[in-house]
Amino acid sequence: MLKYFILLFLLFSACQRDDANQSRSLTFWCSNNAGEITFAREFTRQWQRNRPDKPLRYQPIPEGQSSEEIILASVVGKTTPDIYANMWQGSVEMYAKARVLVPLDTLAGFRAFINARCDSAVIREITSSDGHIYQVPWKVNPIMLLCNTRAMDGLSTKGPPYTYSSYTDAGRQFKRDKDGDGYVDQWLGYTEVKAIWYQRLFNFYPLYLAASKGAPLLTRNPNGRLQAAFNNRHAVSVFRFLQTLYRENYFAKERLSATRDPFLANRIATQFTGPWTVEFLEKYKDPGFDYGSFPMPVPDGHTGPVYSYGDPKNIVIFNTCRDPQAAWEFIKTLVDQPGDLRLLELTGQFPRRKNLDTDPYFAPFLTKHPRLQPFARQTRYIKGVDNSEVIVEVFDIISQEYEACVIFNKKTPESAIADAARAVDVLLMSERTIE
Amino acid sequence: MKKLLPYLLVSPYLLHVAVFVAFPVVFSVVLTFHSWNIISPMQYVGLANYERLFNDRLFWQAIWNTLRFLMVHIPLQILLALMLAELLNRTVRGASFFRAAFFLPVIVSGVVVTILWQQLLSFNSGIINRMLTAISLPRVAWLDDPAVAMYSIAVMATWKNVGLYVILFLVGLQSVPEQYYEAADMEGATSWQKFRFITLPIINPTIFTVVVLSTISGFSLFIEPYIMTEGGPMNTTLSAVMYIYKQAFQYYHMGYSATLGFCFALIILFVVVIQKRYVEQEV
Repeated sequence: MLKYFILLFLLFSACQRDDANQSRSLTFWCSNNAGEITFAREFTRQWQRNRPDKPLRYQPIPEGQSSEEIILASVVGKTTPDIYANMWQGSVEMYAKARVLVPLDTLAGFRAFINARCDSAVIREITSSDGHIYQVPWKVNPIMLLCNTRAMDGLSTKGPPYTYSSYTDAGRQFKRDKDGDGYVDQWLGYTEVKAIWYQRLFNFYPLYLAASKGAPLLTRNPNGRLQAAFNNRHAVSVFRFLQTLYRENYFAKERLSATRDPFLANRIATQFTGPWTVEFLEKYKDPGFDYGSFPMPVPDGHTGPVYSYGDPKNIVIFNTCRDPQAAWEFIKTLVDQPGDLRLLELTGQFPRRKNLDTDPYFAPFLTKHPRLQPFARQTRYIKGVDNSEVIVEVFDIISQEYEACVIFNKKTPESAIADAARAVDVLLMSERTIE
Repeated sequence: MKKLLPYLLVSPYLLHVAVFVAFPVVFSVVLTFHSWNIISPMQYVGLANYERLFNDRLFWQAIWNTLRFLMVHIPLQILLALMLAELLNRTVRGASFFRAAFFLPVIVSGVVVTILWQQLLSFNSGIINRMLTAISLPRVAWLDDPAVAMYSIAVMATWKNVGLYVILFLVGLQSVPEQYYEAADMEGATSWQKFRFITLPIINPTIFTVVVLSTISGFSLFIEPYIMTEGGPMNTTLSAVMYIYKQAFQYYHMGYSATLGFCFALIILFVVVIQKRYVEQEV
């Protein structure tokens, strides 16, 4: 009997020792795609070589419907990692308000770092409503207009880049009923029609940023309270533009996702997408297929830079971390020049740092990958989303009106945008009441 | 010890009920008076969630959508199930094959069936529209037209579930004593008269069971619109359960979601009580 007790005791001691080891080491969750796992592995090994006194292990984020759900579950279960890379910028405010993130600006060296990495606009964008910064701007994937240049060259339209008029004119010329069954089967473009909030990040929102030169959706009134800021001519013009594309059948209303990629199959000639598509197209394109990346279409007469949505994903430290300073030291290795270049090489995603397109350090990579150069140039003119706990609902409200106006033509752009703004104001008001 | 034994024996069940039934019910009622996003502490908001519910146009649209679904789904399901059961109750060659075939969709995963139907109903490449085009009829936007989408889902859900109700009706039909039909034959009753005056009254309890079961399963409509249409187009397929889910797991409004769930449970209770009072007597 005694030997069983000894065996049990040894087992428990072993578990405890392991647990103690685990609690001493920092945990770094990365995204679970192959490129980012390799990135995490390389930098974790490098850290372990240089800082054996601060053990750190990486782990791809557990599988789930979305990484946002997994992070939420881990926050609720208090099983958050110390460091998480790939936090959608729109989620940060909610976690910041719940006080589960470390305010990074309280860590030694952070202010100097952020001022060197980002311009003042980006710093403003990532600063939370309480004045602290909870995220390290890490990577972006600017949304641009991809064009099948062969198909578009045959049209008598000026562009790309396109204005709303030249783009719709291209649509008029390009749409076709190829098999003569009375239904259009070749369109100028396709963008997801479902009224799901995040789909607006890839059609309405980048077009809105382009038209408005990067204006926010929400703004603070003189009392410091958030209110809708998109009831303006820019948003109305975007809705009208998209409504025309659908009404005239220049864009496909039906879901094309069940078939072969419609861009590669020449069923559409343009799409709004990010740099991740380049790798896919290079891998699967037919011989002779050619394409280019251009800024998003803008209203006629638009001057100045063309902004777009950058789909920023950032790095955060959770407050369960016992050694935030060490975690911050590790993060610095991910986002210095060699770290950013390695991210580009392994994943094709762009680091969010100023002057990326002209920085000589990144020039050899961009020269070697000319398809990515337009995206690198676009990184100068990108925005994330507004800092609000209810930003998902804001996009959901816009989505509802988008569907009614743009897809089903049941509302005028003016009334759809006004209704959306009114609903957002009600939402923000009710959130304040509950607060 | 002898006195304690019965309590000891029922304690696992009581524990199960306490943890998995009583606690969630009480907790969700408490939640209806709070605002809670899972990660921040709960805040007492009094009746604010109830006030919001009565002004929430989308919730009432979701309830109306669910009722529209039920208005097509329940009659269609009962008629089809009764018809098929009546056919299978006769001495048909390969009857056991047909029974298995009708039951097959019931045991296939709802997600698989839904994805399959999504392909069948696709506007451009769906086989149903291809068949329509082949006979020179116009294509129908089965899942993309706000006027049609919910009815397409109702037909699909009927196809998926009818097998279960066929079996229930078959059991009911087989319990009708053969002598009644023989007596009716001797009196010269027609097939319709035999069905109306013998079969229907005897299988009345089965009909009531089927109505209640399909009402409750219809009220819990979720997988089909979630996968096929995600509540669109224009929220016309947004079911009440889907809306409750969205509030809870998309916006993390746990308090408001609990309020919606609580109100929805009362609506279901009301409908079932009405059904019990009238359907049971009418049939």
